[in-house]
Amino acid sequence: MGIKIGNGTFVIDELRNITIKIGQIVGEEEIEEFKEKPEEFTTPRPHILDLRHWDRKLLSRYEPIYAPVQDFCNLCTMGPCELTENKKGACGIDLRTQKARMNTITCLIGASAHAAHARHLIHYLLEKFGKDHPIDLGPDIDITAPNIMLVFGIKPKTVGDLKKVLDYVEQEIVRVLHTVHTGQEENYLDFESKALHAGMLDHVAMEAADIAQIAAFNYPKGDPEAPLIDVGFGVLEVSKPIILIIGHNVLPARNVDDYLREHGLENEVEIAGLCCTAIDTSRYDPKAKVVGTLSYQLRAIRSGIPDVVITDEQCIRADTFRESAKMGIPLIATSEASVRGLPDRTDDNPDTVVNDLVSGKVKGVLIRDPDKVGEIAVRVAIEMHANKCRKFGNDILRDVEKCIFCMNCVFACPSNLRIDKAMKFAKNGDFRYFEKIEDSCIACGKCEQVCPAEIRIVDVIMKATHTYMVKKTGKMRAGRGPIRDTEIRKVGQPIVMGTIPGVIAPIGCPNYPKSRKEVAEIIEEFLKRKYIVVTIGCHAMDLGMYRDEEGKSLYEKYPGVFDSGGLANCGSCVSSSHITGAAIKIAGIFAQRPLLGNYAEIADYILHRIGAVGLAWGPYSQKAWSIAMGFNRLGIPAVVGPHGSKYRRGLIGKVWKKDAWYVYDIKTRKKMQIEPCPDCLFVVAETKEEAIVQLARLCMRPADTYMGRQIKLTHYLELSKKYLGCLPDDWHLYVRTELDLPTRMKEKLLKLLEDSYGWKIDWNRKKIIEGPVRGYDAGFNPTMVEQVYEKYTREKLDDKP
Amino acid sequence: MAERRKLEIPEGVKVKVSQGEEYDFPVDVSPMHEGERIRKGDMYVELAGPKQPGFELVMALPAEDVEDMKVTLVGKDLDELEEGKAYPFAMIYYVAGEKIDNDLEPIIERRNHDFQNYIEGVMHLNQRYDIWIRVGKNAVEKGLKSLITVAKAVMLLFKNEMPFIEKVEAVYATDREFVEKMLKDVAIPIFEERDARVEALHDEDVEEFYSCTLCQSFAPSDVCIISPDRPSLCGAITWFDGRAAARVDPEGPNKPVPKGELIDSVGGEYSGVNEFAKTESGGVTERIKLHSFLECPHPSCGCFEVIGFYMPEVDGIGWIHRGYPEPAPNGLTFSTMAGQTGGGKQVVGFLGIGMSYFRSKKFIQADGGWYRVVWMPKELKQKVLKYIPEDMRDKIATEEDAKSIEELREFLKNVDHPVVKGVVRPVDGKKITEGWVEEREEVEEREEVREITQEEVQQTQMPFPEFQQLQQFQVPYMQSGPKIKLVIKNANITIDKIIVKRKEENKK
Repeated sequence: MGIKIGNGTFVIDELRNITIKIGQIVGEEEIEEFKEKPEEFTTPRPHILDLRHWDRKLLSRYEPIYAPVQDFCNLCTMGPCELTENKKGACGIDLRTQKARMNTITCLIGASAHAAHARHLIHYLLEKFGKDHPIDLGPDIDITAPNIMLVFGIKPKTVGDLKKVLDYVEQEIVRVLHTVHTGQEENYLDFESKALHAGMLDHVAMEAADIAQIAAFNYPKGDPEAPLIDVGFGVLEVSKPIILIIGHNVLPARNVDDYLREHGLENEVEIAGLCCTAIDTSRYDPKAKVVGTLSYQLRAIRSGIPDVVITDEQCIRADTFRESAKMGIPLIATSEASVRGLPDRTDDNPDTVVNDLVSGKVKGVLIRDPDKVGEIAVRVAIEMHANKCRKFGNDILRDVEKCIFCMNCVFACPSNLRIDKAMKFAKNGDFRYFEKIEDSCIACGKCEQVCPAEIRIVDVIMKATHTYMVKKTGKMRAGRGPIRDTEIRKVGQPIVMGTIPGVIAPIGCPNYPKSRKEVAEIIEEFLKRKYIVVTIGCHAMDLGMYRDEEGKSLYEKYPGVFDSGGLANCGSCVSSSHITGAAIKIAGIFAQRPLLGNYAEIADYILHRIGAVGLAWGPYSQKAWSIAMGFNRLGIPAVVGPHGSKYRRGLIGKVWKKDAWYVYDIKTRKKMQIEPCPDCLFVVAETKEEAIVQLARLCMRPADTYMGRQIKLTHYLELSKKYLGCLPDDWHLYVRTELDLPTRMKEKLLKLLEDSYGWKIDWNRKKIIEGPVRGYDAGFNPTMVEQVYEKYTREKLDDKP
Repeated sequence: MAERRKLEIPEGVKVKVSQGEEYDFPVDVSPMHEGERIRKGDMYVELAGPKQPGFELVMALPAEDVEDMKVTLVGKDLDELEEGKAYPFAMIYYVAGEKIDNDLEPIIERRNHDFQNYIEGVMHLNQRYDIWIRVGKNAVEKGLKSLITVAKAVMLLFKNEMPFIEKVEAVYATDREFVEKMLKDVAIPIFEERDARVEALHDEDVEEFYSCTLCQSFAPSDVCIISPDRPSLCGAITWFDGRAAARVDPEGPNKPVPKGELIDSVGGEYSGVNEFAKTESGGVTERIKLHSFLECPHPSCGCFEVIGFYMPEVDGIGWIHRGYPEPAPNGLTFSTMAGQTGGGKQVVGFLGIGMSYFRSKKFIQADGGWYRVVWMPKELKQKVLKYIPEDMRDKIATEEDAKSIEELREFLKNVDHPVVKGVVRPVDGKKITEGWVEEREEVEEREEVREITQEEVQQTQMPFPEFQQLQQFQVPYMQSGPKIKLVIKNANITIDKIIVKRKEENKK
């Protein structure tokens, strides 16, 4: 009797009386990393050119459209070169290529920020926890690192494995960075490909950072019921000493939190954060409070409420020290990335440092070792608080009186807010218009610099709306981390059966065109309609900031699950890798497509099948851009708010270019024309209304079942009617069969198809006879990658007639 | 077969009649309202529900008996009902069409739930005689005055969604006497008749099965075969559903699959199914045995609710459901095992199924059915307890009885589970497993090392009689195992004896 053992390993407890001849012994890791014969057509650890073929496919369907905010290049001293009207620069570059080059640079900045953040974290964790610290995300997560598996080609098991992943990412970032030097690429598509490459690397770095901190700091492991956190300007208990932490790297904040707990001070001192550090601190300790996003930094400091300010890295205003110093608030810088001109006091006796800060001898210090921050910050906060006299006066009318209505502030404002109007009302004692402005103001302070009357406008807004602002409190679900494999399995059937219309992913910054509330309004529309919503970062905070009439925030109204009508907050910026991760998992789980190093195949799968769309309603940072590029390379479209146009380019398909909308159908073995969906990868929406309709539209995919398409079309048409007042002009393109039509509007739409689009309808059977781009076939198995077609059909495309 | 006749409307009862199509509704009708919950405070009236009698029923009638788009309301209308109160409620739909027969009634009936919920300000829960409807104040405020409007909206949706419905007529009722009488005399007998038919219908009674390839949108090579004894893997589609869908669109994702020749009556293998699976899966799946675990099992996409796993140590099968977070006795969690299968692949040793397959009379009958099942989480066992043969109910371990293979062995021995002495499968009385071979005393430590011949290896008795058939058997590794694992490739190993033992936990 023979025994056959296939893939898999088993444990042999004891061996006796056995002769074993072994030719070679290899480490498990090596086998995984260097398969003797790698899977067909895979690209583990891809270099710049390895996925260029995929980028070219994407870019030929989704053509870059440039909207330069600047027409000249001044990167080298041969310039500045003005590049309009098809002029070339001194180096020979044209405007299009120069813009693509700038994209690449922007993307590199974003990806480097996350990669460096990851490096800081992992460097620290290696020291404290050792390289063998396991990456265990709980029993419901088997695919622990989908992005790393897909790009790097291994499933990391320990923190030590992540170091190797980062080595690769950093090496690639340098290689891409090299290419933006003057005198390199001359074709814009090659730069765009490099931008996409950097975007992909970004998601790998983010995933490494986040799974490392989840595993080491015991954050929620994909927990849909992660605790609710207090969020908003009004959550601070001003009677207690307050430590305000700004930035993105949790290490110093964690040390503060540990120090408080170790000394029994957790109920005596408030720890509050701004930006992603706030989110990550609340993942570590649900008692930590979240003040808000970037746009509250200046306000938080100028309010005089904090007793000490700690900065770590990224998205921290570059006048934080100056502003803190003006308010007499000591500042502790902790990151190499933002040392703020401060003296390095890392190795000094903490007693001296505390004394110097409290006495005002120094107004700020640099403490490089995160493990030394806690003691200093807590002691400074307690002592400062004891001697505090609040400076938050109420001399607002005097400032308002000074206004001469020159409108300089309005023109300087990125959102052109009508500060002049508010001033006029305020002169008459009515401050309500300022409340409206407060909701839209990002507190950048540009208005103050152009004011001839030298009014501190940010302060005026804050003072005028003080009672309104401190009432702003909400609830946010603590970052839950990745989506569980079990959740993915659970939503498979409802997505196929058309009860879940799609996945909307609000991510990114608070540079909104109008009121912050708009992002919550956009998202609630989709939550009500049973879309899955998965969020991170500043959007995750702002979604929790608003309460309905019953006093409930979105997180209290909708469950934290990755499921129909769920609002899942994954966490901070680096957690956006879990959104791409969820899409990758779908391919791994439902199609059993190999993930290791199989980027192009999986991205192609996602582009044609998974109805997920990103939304960055207030994009401002380079990180937001590189996150979006990572989405795009993986086949997930992104919609951005109006300020996103300043990223200089969109990726928009041309529906009328029939050649662009072809795929190979593995099922029928034919090259087929498809409906243009999704028809863009990166697109700017001007208004909230436009964004809502755009999001619904971009959830459609060629492989939709008829039930799935029916529900997606229903929402698309309904939303277009609700927000734009009409049926969209392209809805008919998405109709493959009468079964795709929204049930309620079926008759009317069939009539429209016949009358306006010349389709042939069999009215007895209510069937479409002629008209659609293609018919519906449940087994339609589209790909635009020749190698994928050849792999699954086992036939060469060249051999086809 | 219960008789299908139009209901007789008693004399002297208040009746309102409306005929013809309506398109303009005072409230919105859209799937977006599907999950709308109407709480007590927001409710205008409650219809049927826990306090009042009620039912919904679809009856197929000859075309000449059905007056298209006619609604008869028996009893008070919405605007005559007292706010905040609960009333009896019945919804009866007569449908007619060339392709409609009695088997389609429940399929159409089930959609009433969806369509009622499309209506803004209307909440519909449950089905049949358990229905529970609430009309919200918001709907009444927007101008919803009549239940006839609700009926018209639903009828329109019925006709749009299921074009095989050529005519539809409705009777709605709020009159207590009428509702109670019709429930007793008409509805309940029809429900009972339907249940009896579903219960009695087996694979051998039908000419064709149905396929489901909807999941191919995500799992391109997956094919689900739906037979009376095997609902779809996701649990969403029964044989009757498949049949209804195939009627609407025979070229759609639910195609009729002619059974063809019966190849294996115990395993449930049919030539027609094999041919179909081969074509539709693009050659990935060549043979399917519908009721087999260890041989040519049914492929799965990935949305299965439960995964079955073979444990060679006890020669039995365990089941674990998606919500159970702990590892099974083999040391593996749901997610880890689920990761081994899916994507339309057939992986021997693991089988993904929907909950409803536990109800099947042919539940993995080729491998002994319930008599081969050794472990399931308590929560799952409770849910399916009534389908477990009585003599097996105490013999299937849960996490309370066994968390490791050792404990499981012990438990199975104690309860004298069939796997210990050999499973006799009920379907044909054949003994399919040998039972456990008694462990012999461990060999003395200083026994001489000697080469043994290939023949000797062949003769070595294996405790797992099914092994030789298994093509790509997965031996799952233990999660709690040691840090270093050996993977031995291309080695000549000659073994005198293998003792399989559970590894002691390394307590540090």
